Amino acid sequence: MDQNRKPRSILETLGEELVRIITPVSICMLLVVILVTVLNTHSEGSSIGPSFTTIATIAYSESSSDSIWDKLKGALLNSLVFVAVITVVTFLLVLLFYFRCTKFLKYYMGFSSFLVLGFMGGEIALFLIRDFGFPVDCVTFVIILFNFTVVGVFAVFMSKMAIFVTQAYLVVIGMLVAYWFTLLPEWTTWVLLVAMALYDLAAVLLPGGPLKLLVELAISRDEDIPALVYEARPVINSDSSPTGDVLQRRVWTERRNTGSALDENSDARPNFNPNTSPVTNSNTTPGTYLSVGSGENEINLVNAEEGQVFRGDSELAAPLIQHRINVRMNSEEDASPSENFALEGIGLGSSGAIKLGLGDFIFYSVLVGRAAMYDFMTVYACYLAIIAGLGATLILLAFCRKALPALPVSIMLGCKSMPSLPPGMAKTWPKPELKLGHTGPNCKDLRPA
Amino acid sequence: MTVAAGIGYTLLALGPSLSLFIAVIAKKPFLILTLLSSTLVWLISLIVLSGLWRAFLPFKTASLWPYALIILTSVAFQEALRPLFWRIYKRLEDMLDAVADRVSKPRLFITDKMQIALAGGMGHGVAHAVFFCLSLLTPSFGPGTYYMEKCSQMSFFLVSAIIALAFVTIHTLSMVIAFNGYAEGNKVDQYIVPVIHLIAAMLTLINLAHGGCIISIPLLYGMAVVTLGHCGKMVWTKLAENRSRQGSSY
Repeated sequence: MDQNRKPRSILETLGEELVRIITPVSICMLLVVILVTVLNTHSEGSSIGPSFTTIATIAYSESSSDSIWDKLKGALLNSLVFVAVITVVTFLLVLLFYFRCTKFLKYYMGFSSFLVLGFMGGEIALFLIRDFGFPVDCVTFVIILFNFTVVGVFAVFMSKMAIFVTQAYLVVIGMLVAYWFTLLPEWTTWVLLVAMALYDLAAVLLPGGPLKLLVELAISRDEDIPALVYEARPVINSDSSPTGDVLQRRVWTERRNTGSALDENSDARPNFNPNTSPVTNSNTTPGTYLSVGSGENEINLVNAEEGQVFRGDSELAAPLIQHRINVRMNSEEDASPSENFALEGIGLGSSGAIKLGLGDFIFYSVLVGRAAMYDFMTVYACYLAIIAGLGATLILLAFCRKALPALPVSIMLGCKSMPSLPPGMAKTWPKPELKLGHTGPNCKDLRPA
Repeated sequence: MTVAAGIGYTLLALGPSLSLFIAVIAKKPFLILTLLSSTLVWLISLIVLSGLWRAFLPFKTASLWPYALIILTSVAFQEALRPLFWRIYKRLEDMLDAVADRVSKPRLFITDKMQIALAGGMGHGVAHAVFFCLSLLTPSFGPGTYYMEKCSQMSFFLVSAIIALAFVTIHTLSMVIAFNGYAEGNKVDQYIVPVIHLIAAMLTLINLAHGGCIISIPLLYGMAVVTLGHCGKMVWTKLAENRSRQGSSY
């Protein structure tokens, strides 16, 4: 090693994958919070989103004059309907995947991204233009929107785009869907979040769960699940074999022996032996949303499937590898999927990237966006709770080595941290009577410390 | 008043932390995780404290002692968490060294350890700033401002931003001093940190008097400078003796 340079300490690379997944999640949440605060304060007087009918409000449409019990019942009903629809659609997905209609699924993914970026993005852009009074004419707007959408579809759909563009578009898609979810009525949103967390838990861990079936199918066939999945940039991008698939595949590093998988450590070998490394821990949560086109009553069923693929390492929870199924470069190993563990080293940067399904992005951001409607402190607390939940899930994964759902822990922590804040903060500061503009003072109560 | 002012106040409180973050912490993912977790722990400690004190609030009296009591208990609670931090850190350090050995990389340098302490302290400081300053700044993004009658020279937002900056400095550096004290068994370092924290917190009580902020803010900054000086001296001597011990340049 270079004598003049200080040797790189372990601190510089530990935990890198975790940070690479926390960053886009944080960015998505930040964008949703900004959107929520900007759009909601500006249209405080006027009715904000359309009182739209989605699948999530089809059973009961909340109005502020109902009693709490009615609201709760209505919200429960809504969530049940929503979860039921999602379950049905997931089973449909499993069926299609089973019959190898992969092309159809991929085209559908592209189509759904087109809808999200084009229509939802367009509507939000229209809100922004209306609120801020940007001078832009229709033709320009349509052209720009169309270009933006088409690039997004290609980014998600085809694999030859720069990673950064793909990641950016995935974050934007997550943000748009999350924003639309925050427009749901209040009780429905909360109960829906909890219901989705429970559904995720059930679908992944129960033996008959659709996601479990999907994962097992994917593993046994050695294929990718066609889904909208965020893939973090790998630590070291080496030897990724060019494939024509939708999501980048990482060719995997060396094999380990099964028995010593747990205490094997990373290599000192400079080159990687690619071999088959199937998805060992993955879990997909399809999220479905239906939206009504503005004005009309057509319901577009968009299926944004979410998946989360994990791989735990024994050393510290930090280095988590992601497995992707990929092309067999060496045919020497014929190990069964469950035996092939990819090796990962801290610091020596064997590649590995964490994948997080887009639905997780969406529901985290919905929680934080909803919190943003109350107070900034709740946003902060919820954000920390969600990140802590995400970290805890990953650590749990490193120990369990099974498919784990990403939603429950974070959502539960986030929901728990919500009510603890506003009444908890000490009220010793006198409330200012001044009303500052129309941003609504939240010069609440705080401690003089 | 206006977005520019709001951003200005935010940067006033968090500017130095931001530059420290970008320069030191952002490059090392482990430090980012340390920062996030220490922020979380601070938040939880505040929630616990507010849960405890909820029954007694709001105070009806105008006298000082209930506030002093709150501050005393809060500081005591948070300082009690620090040795806990230290113990967790020790275990973490062992794990990190084991991992480093396994991947045949050098063990933690002394600067690494101090950086971990810095990140932890900064987590506390940022959490403090967000809670006690940023949460109040939302109205300042709009077209108006607000003055307190007890401190009428500066706007309320400016006062809270300045006070938050002092506290961020104190928190960030206290952790470094405290960890060094625990590592070397130096009683002075170990005890000076809670004392500084307590004094700084008590100084804010002066704000309750009319025109008190004129006195308390310079004093607070005095405390921050004292912390800064002490920390700097300690780090300098530690690095110097390390260097002389190793005989190489770091």
